[in-house]
Amino acid sequence: MSASVQTTRPVNRRLYRAMRGLVALVLTGVIVAGFLGEIPQLDILEQSARNLYFHVPMWFTLMAATLVSAYHSAQYLRSGARIRDVRAREAARIALIFGGLGIVTGMVWARFTWYEGTGVWWNFDPKQSMAAVLLLIYGGYFVLRDAIDTPSTRGRIAAVYNLFAVVTMPFLLYILPRQMPSLHPGGEGSPAFSQTDLAPAMRWVFYPSVLAFLGLFWLLYTQRVRLAWIREALRVEQREEVAAGLQDASDS
Amino acid sequence: MTIHPIRSDDALTYRPAQERPDTTSAYDSTWVEQPEDSSPTGLDRIMGQDGKIYVVLAVVLLIWIGLLTLLFRTDRKIDRLERRLDRHISDDE
Repeated sequence: MSASVQTTRPVNRRLYRAMRGLVALVLTGVIVAGFLGEIPQLDILEQSARNLYFHVPMWFTLMAATLVSAYHSAQYLRSGARIRDVRAREAARIALIFGGLGIVTGMVWARFTWYEGTGVWWNFDPKQSMAAVLLLIYGGYFVLRDAIDTPSTRGRIAAVYNLFAVVTMPFLLYILPRQMPSLHPGGEGSPAFSQTDLAPAMRWVFYPSVLAFLGLFWLLYTQRVRLAWIREALRVEQREEVAAGLQDASDS
Repeated sequence: MTIHPIRSDDALTYRPAQERPDTTSAYDSTWVEQPEDSSPTGLDRIMGQDGKIYVVLAVVLLIWIGLLTLLFRTDRKIDRLERRLDRHISDDE
């Protein structure tokens, strides 16, 4: 019977533990260094420049999560394996969470820094608006999933939608916002975080922070996949018990 | 309720001592300001430095530790569930 259910553990435990320890360590260090480290003294930004360490990684994480989600959706279309659908769904879910945190942290940052004293929470910065559109597109993914009852149909249609969704991501987060004046770096045509954009002292906190948040995404995502897989196994188990019960009934 | 400190000489001019019978003074909520204390010591001195940034750091670290604990505990629960499920399935066979 269900060999597929029993043998698959969706994660390598040792790798997971190592990653968990590393993320805990690095992110704790990032928080301490992020608060206490030296930063350039700039007008308007002042100490709020430290937000770079926490706000920007949210978006890197969202991008990585959408790519992971799209990869598994493509694999689902190739193989039809249920675990791929589960992975695509959970990656998209965590992507939405990080995206939501990115939007909210960006709002707070702008409200009390560039829009200090104006009461403007939503300033229609192109990147902000496009990010909101992206989150709506990914919200649509879950609405679509909920609207279809048959698991195989749901997996297939959601996977196709997801592949279209991920194509919009670089346009909405990179290409379009750079065509317009924005609070975000990169509008001048130079890539964000070029040689001159980020003080060397800040790189030592910023890059580890990005990596640690990517790791944190992977941990949360793996947790959710494992939970979803347990649920899946229980469902299969239940179905088989019902089937066995029917068999017995017809035999007697 | 807000407790406003008043200086002792103000208190005296505002309400002379002889008009205040001892029977009510036990219920007074005004207090006479203490003389300025010497500079803070120990933990207070460290936490108060640099515009009290260390207080914020402590709060954020506490939140982070709380979230980490949640992560670890959830992992343990999932481990347990997976083990139970494996045992259950192998029992069937």
